[in-house]
Amino acid sequence: MRLNQRLALSFDWLWLLALLLLSATGIAAIWSTTQGTSLSYYVGRQLIYLAVAFLAFLVLLYFDYHLYTDYIAFAYLIGMAVLTLVLVAGHTVHANKSWLKMGTVNFQPSELMKILVILGLAKYYADSDRDHLETSELVVGGLIVLAPMLLVILQGDLGTAVTFLPIYAGLSFLGGLKRKHMVVLLVACALAAPAAWMMLKEHQRDRIESVLNPSSDPRGVGYQPQQSKIAIGSGQFLGKGWKQGTQGQLGFLPARHTDFIFAVLSEEHGFLGSSLLLGLFLYISLRLLRAAREAKDKIGSMIVMGVLSVFVFHALVNVGMNLGMLPIAGIPLPFVSAGGSSLLSHFAAMGLCMNINMRRFVN
Amino acid sequence: MVKLQLESNRQPIQRRLNWLYPPMIVIFALLGARLWWLQILQGAEYSRLAERNRMRSIPVAAARGPILDRDRRPLVDNRPSLNIVLYRELMKDLDATTAYVARSLAVLPDQLAAQLRRNRRAGSYQPIVIKEDVGIEDVSVVEAHQMEHPEIQLSPEPRRRYRYGNLAAHVLGYLGEISEDELARSAFPGVQGGELVGRSGVERTYNQYLVGRNGSREVLVDSLGRELGMVAETDAAIGGDLQLTIDYDLQVQAESLLAGKVGTAIAMDPRTGEILAMASSPSFSPKSFSPRISAREYNEITGNPDRPLQNRAVQNAYPPGSIFKLVMAYAGLVEGYVDEDTHVICRGSELYYDRVFHCWYASGHGDINLEGAITYSCNIFFYTLGQRLGIDRIAARAHELGFGTVTNIDLPSERTGVMPSQEWKRRAKKQNWYAGETISVSIGQGSVQATPMQVLRAVSAIVTDGKLVTPHLLLQAENAPKPEWPATQLPIRKEDASRIRAGMWASVNNSGTGIEAAIPGLDICGKTGTVQLIGSERMKEIAADDAAEFANHAWFAGFASRDNPEIAVVVFLEHGGGGGAAAAPLAKELFRAYFEKKTQAAKKAQAADRSGGVR
Repeated sequence: MRLNQRLALSFDWLWLLALLLLSATGIAAIWSTTQGTSLSYYVGRQLIYLAVAFLAFLVLLYFDYHLYTDYIAFAYLIGMAVLTLVLVAGHTVHANKSWLKMGTVNFQPSELMKILVILGLAKYYADSDRDHLETSELVVGGLIVLAPMLLVILQGDLGTAVTFLPIYAGLSFLGGLKRKHMVVLLVACALAAPAAWMMLKEHQRDRIESVLNPSSDPRGVGYQPQQSKIAIGSGQFLGKGWKQGTQGQLGFLPARHTDFIFAVLSEEHGFLGSSLLLGLFLYISLRLLRAAREAKDKIGSMIVMGVLSVFVFHALVNVGMNLGMLPIAGIPLPFVSAGGSSLLSHFAAMGLCMNINMRRFVN
Repeated sequence: MVKLQLESNRQPIQRRLNWLYPPMIVIFALLGARLWWLQILQGAEYSRLAERNRMRSIPVAAARGPILDRDRRPLVDNRPSLNIVLYRELMKDLDATTAYVARSLAVLPDQLAAQLRRNRRAGSYQPIVIKEDVGIEDVSVVEAHQMEHPEIQLSPEPRRRYRYGNLAAHVLGYLGEISEDELARSAFPGVQGGELVGRSGVERTYNQYLVGRNGSREVLVDSLGRELGMVAETDAAIGGDLQLTIDYDLQVQAESLLAGKVGTAIAMDPRTGEILAMASSPSFSPKSFSPRISAREYNEITGNPDRPLQNRAVQNAYPPGSIFKLVMAYAGLVEGYVDEDTHVICRGSELYYDRVFHCWYASGHGDINLEGAITYSCNIFFYTLGQRLGIDRIAARAHELGFGTVTNIDLPSERTGVMPSQEWKRRAKKQNWYAGETISVSIGQGSVQATPMQVLRAVSAIVTDGKLVTPHLLLQAENAPKPEWPATQLPIRKEDASRIRAGMWASVNNSGTGIEAAIPGLDICGKTGTVQLIGSERMKEIAADDAAEFANHAWFAGFASRDNPEIAVVVFLEHGGGGGAAAAPLAKELFRAYFEKKTQAAKKAQAADRSGGVR
C-alpha cells in the first residue's frame, strides 16, 4: 500500500488531462460532423471505445512494466499468429484486409501489434550493455520490426505498415548507431525509395505527385487535399463555430470524422483552435521525451522512445496530410480520429509510458 | 554504487534524447507556420473558395420578346421547354458520364465531345446544354439518376414558337448559340456564353431589343451538387416586343403566290419605306434550327441548291432588265436630255458603235416618246437616250436612286449590287469602258445588278416625286425609342415624275407590257422586265432539259394608285420567264389583297360609324 501511495504521488495528472482533452476534442468534432447523418451513432460508439481504451490504460499502468517485458517474446509470437490469422480469415474494409471481426466489433490487430513490437525491440536492445548497437543487433532488431510489417503490407494496409518504421528508427537511434551503420541505413533508404515507388499502386503514386503539384487535377486525386486546405484556410482566425463549418457539414471534406478530422477542427475553431490542438500534441511529445530521459532503466527509456516515435509520426503525417504538405495516407490523428483500435492502442501505449514515468524512483 | 554504474550506463541515452528537442520544436513550428499561412495569410482566399463550393448560381434564361405584325398579331412568341445540361464541375468521371448519356439519353459521344469542345473556354461552373427541348421520358431519366449523376440536370429555357411555321422566315430569322468568336469580339454586348442570339433576320438586327434580362437562383448545395435550399432569387425578365411593319395578311398572300417558284416579292409603302410584305422562295422552317446541336438539318438546308436560307429580296443581286428603263427615264429627265418634244423612231433595230442592237419588238414601235417607250418597253428609245447621256451620267443618277449601295434596310447581310461606270470598270476590272456597253446598260443588261429591294426602293422614289426612303421592317420596338428612318428628296420635277407614272399606268391599263397586272377600277401602274441570260440564238441550241437553267428572269415593279402611290410592289422570279407573263399576275394578286383588305376595313369602320349614329 505504501508503494502504491508513492506511485500515485509521482503520477503526472497533467499528462493524463492532456490525453483526455484530446479525446474530448475528438468526440466533439465527431459529434459536429456526424450529427444528423447516418453516422450519428459514431459519437456513442467513440465514447464506448474511450471507456474500453481507458480501462486498458489503467491495466497497463497498474502492473510493473517489467512484468510485460518478461513475457514479451511469448506475446510477440501470439501477435504474429493473430496477424497471420487476419491475413487468412480477415475482414475487408476499403480494400484493406486488416480487420478482425469479433461479434459486431471490427478490430485492427495491427494497431496493437505496434505495442508488442515496441516492447520486443526495447527488450532486445536494452539487454545489450554497450553504448552502440552491433551489426547483428541491428539486423535482428530490423527483423523484429519487418516481420509483422510485412504481414500488414500483405493485408494491403500500407499506411499502418509504414508506422512500424519509426519504431525501428527511434529505438536504433537511442540504442546508438555507429557512423558506418548510419551511412548504411541512409544508403539503404535511398536505394529502397525507388523500389518502394515501384511497389506503390497507381493511386498511391498519384497521391504523392499531387502533393508536389496540388493544382494538377483538382477534381481527381487533388480533390481531397484541396478541399482540406479550403476547410482549414476558410477557418481563418476564430473559425466558423462548432457545427458551422460548411466544408465539413456539406460533405466537401472526405473522411471528415477520421483522417481529416484535423481539417474539421481547423475550419470550425480557426487558427486559435488548431494551434491549441497542435500545442497539445507538442506538450505530450515533450512530456514523453522527458519521461524517456527520466526512466529509471534503459528498457524504460527504450519503451517510451518507441511510443514517442509512433505518436509523433502519426501526428506529423496526419496533420501534414491535412495541411496539404504530405501525401494522403490512411493514418488517423492519435486520440482524436474516430476509431476504436487506434484509440485503444494509443491509450495502452501511453499507459505503458506513464507506468514507466511513475516508477522512475522505484527500485 | 549500483546507482552510479547505472547513471554512467545511461549517459549516452540521455545525450541522444537531448538531441531530439530542437528537431521536434522545429517540426511543430513548421506545422504552425503552415497553419498561419493557410488560415491567416490565405484565409480570405480560402473563405472565398469555400463560399464558391457551397453556393451555386443557377442561371434562369429569360424569354426573348415576341415579334408582332403591324396590327400587333404575334408571329413569334415563346413556349416553355426543358434542356438537359451538364455541370462540368460536378463531373467526376467523363467516361462514366459519356456512357450514361449515350445509353439513357441518346446523346452520342461525338455530340457530347463537340459540345464540350465548343465550351472548353467557358468556366466549369457554367452549364452546357447537351440535349434540347426534351420530352417526359428524358425528364424522368434525369430525375431518376440524380444521385449517381448529379452533373446531369434539367434546365428550363423558354423556346421560340413560330405561330405560322415558315411564314416570313427570312424576315424573322432563326436563333443560334453565340460562338466563341462572337464572344471574343463582343459582337453581342451583354450576351454570355451558351446563350442564344439571332442568327439572321430581325432576330439578329434587333437582338439587343429582343433579349430579356436573365435571372438567377443562388442555391446552397452539398458536395454532390444537391440543392439544400435557395438563398436568393432574381426573376428573369422577358425581352421587349418588336412590332414589325409586316402585314400578316399580305405576307400570307405573297408567300402563297411564290409557292413552288424561286424568287421574291416585296410590298412597301413608298411614302414611308414600311415593308408590308417580304417573301422569298424557297423558304425554310426557323423552328427546325436546333439552336445548338443538330448539324444534320442545317447541312440539309444549306446543301439545297436553291439556297432556301438566302433572302432573295436583299441578299442576291440580279440584272434589273427593262425595269432599269425607269432609271434611264429619271436620268434623262433630270439631266434635261428628255422633254415633251423628245421623240425616237424605232425601226426594230439600230446601229450603235458599229454593232446592231435590237428592240424586243422586231417590227419596231415607230415614232415613240418617253411615255410610250415606258408603256411598250421600247429598247431603241432607251438605247438612244443612253448613248446621249453616256455611262457616267447614267451611273451618277442611278447611284442617286440607290443602285450600287445598300438600302440600309434593317436586315443583315444586304448586298450592294453593281452600278457600272468608267471608274468602276477601271477599278474592278482594270479595263477601259467600251461605249457599246452603255447601250446594254441602258436596258438593264450588261454589268448592272441590283437587289429586288434596291429596285423597289428606286421605283418608289421615282413615282413619289423623288422621295427616296429607307426601307424598314421595324415599326416600333418596346425597348427602343421610336425609330427614325432617313429619307432624301431627289431632284425630279413633279411633272416629270407624273410623265413616268403615266407611262407605267399605260403599261398596265392601255395594252402595254404590264397588262397582266391590271385590275379594273384600280389605277395600278407598273413596269415589266425580262432578263435574257443568253442570246436568243444560243438559246435555240441548248437542249430542252437544260433550258430552265438559262431561262429568263422575270421582273415586275409597280405601284398603286397612279395619283396617290400608297403601295409599291416588286416581284422577281429567278428563271421565271417573261416579266409580263410570269411576274405581273403575281403583283396583281398582291395589289388585290392589299386593296380588298383596305375596302373591308373602310366598310367596317363605316358600319361602326353607322351603328354608332343610330344609337
